[in-house]
Amino acid sequence: MESNWAAEHLQVIRTLMERAALYRRALAPIMSFNGIVGLAAAALGWALQVGSPRAFILFWAGVGVVAVAGSFLLVRRQALKESEAFWSPPTRRVTQAMLPPLVAGLMVSVVVLVRAGPAAGQPDKLEGLLWLPLLWVVLYGCAFHAAGFFMPRGMRLFGWAFIIGGCGLFAGGAPSWAHPLDYGQGIMACFFGGLHLAYGVYLYFTEHRRNAA
Amino acid sequence: MNPQPFLKLDRVIHEKGRLGILSMLAASPELSFIELRDALGMTDGNLTTHIRTLQQAGYLSVTKSFQNNRPLTTCALTAAGRKAFANYINLLEQIIRQARPE
Repeated sequence: MESNWAAEHLQVIRTLMERAALYRRALAPIMSFNGIVGLAAAALGWALQVGSPRAFILFWAGVGVVAVAGSFLLVRRQALKESEAFWSPPTRRVTQAMLPPLVAGLMVSVVVLVRAGPAAGQPDKLEGLLWLPLLWVVLYGCAFHAAGFFMPRGMRLFGWAFIIGGCGLFAGGAPSWAHPLDYGQGIMACFFGGLHLAYGVYLYFTEHRRNAA
Repeated sequence: MNPQPFLKLDRVIHEKGRLGILSMLAASPELSFIELRDALGMTDGNLTTHIRTLQQAGYLSVTKSFQNNRPLTTCALTAAGRKAFANYINLLEQIIRQARPE
């Protein structure tokens, strides 16, 4: 009898410890924001004909900065609203988990930008660089998968969607009929815009209910 | 069955509310009053009482600060609290081991 009681106590302790370590900010607004930024940026990039490797990398690096800054502002607003610390241990853990793949993506992009030299400014050179947005997609998926260990379970699946999608498109290669510019912006729109927005909408309808449970 | 481990259980920790507080703080360097209250489903008064008891036992440190002109109370385990919690877990495991058939 005593052992049953002790086992139940240990189970309660385990559950509470897991809950304490979990990132609890509402993710629906953050995902939706990133989805809208991704779609708007892809549309803008397409309209402005951002097609040379240099312009493509710099343009999407700028979009990344906007997305990260906006996400942190949303997290900070939630923290303030709930009278909690912004840079809380779970926020730190999630950031630390996401950093290595994101830094890897940044470093590869910088190397490509530097190594490509003057050719990076030529619009027709993007064709040879279409692996780069796919690499971003895969590394971004890895970042979310790593962060998923400190977040609700769905986040790891979200990461897998990027990893599998990115690898699948890489294996399939760019279709011959697609213009490199359209293909590059299309990849960014689908993954960084569409997937984020779809997950944001899904979380909007499910997150509140799950947190209340 | 040897009743020793059960008798050695720390009475301060061996209460559902206080055990919940210590469990959460054992997994996180610090947590705010509101995070604890919401996660454990306690009232402000109930949580304050438990925190005071744990503080008096030397298991908990409480820091009061301001964030954007709003008061922010954060709790963290002390070294003594971490040790007492670990001992409590060890005793629970001992109880389970004793009851397990050889």
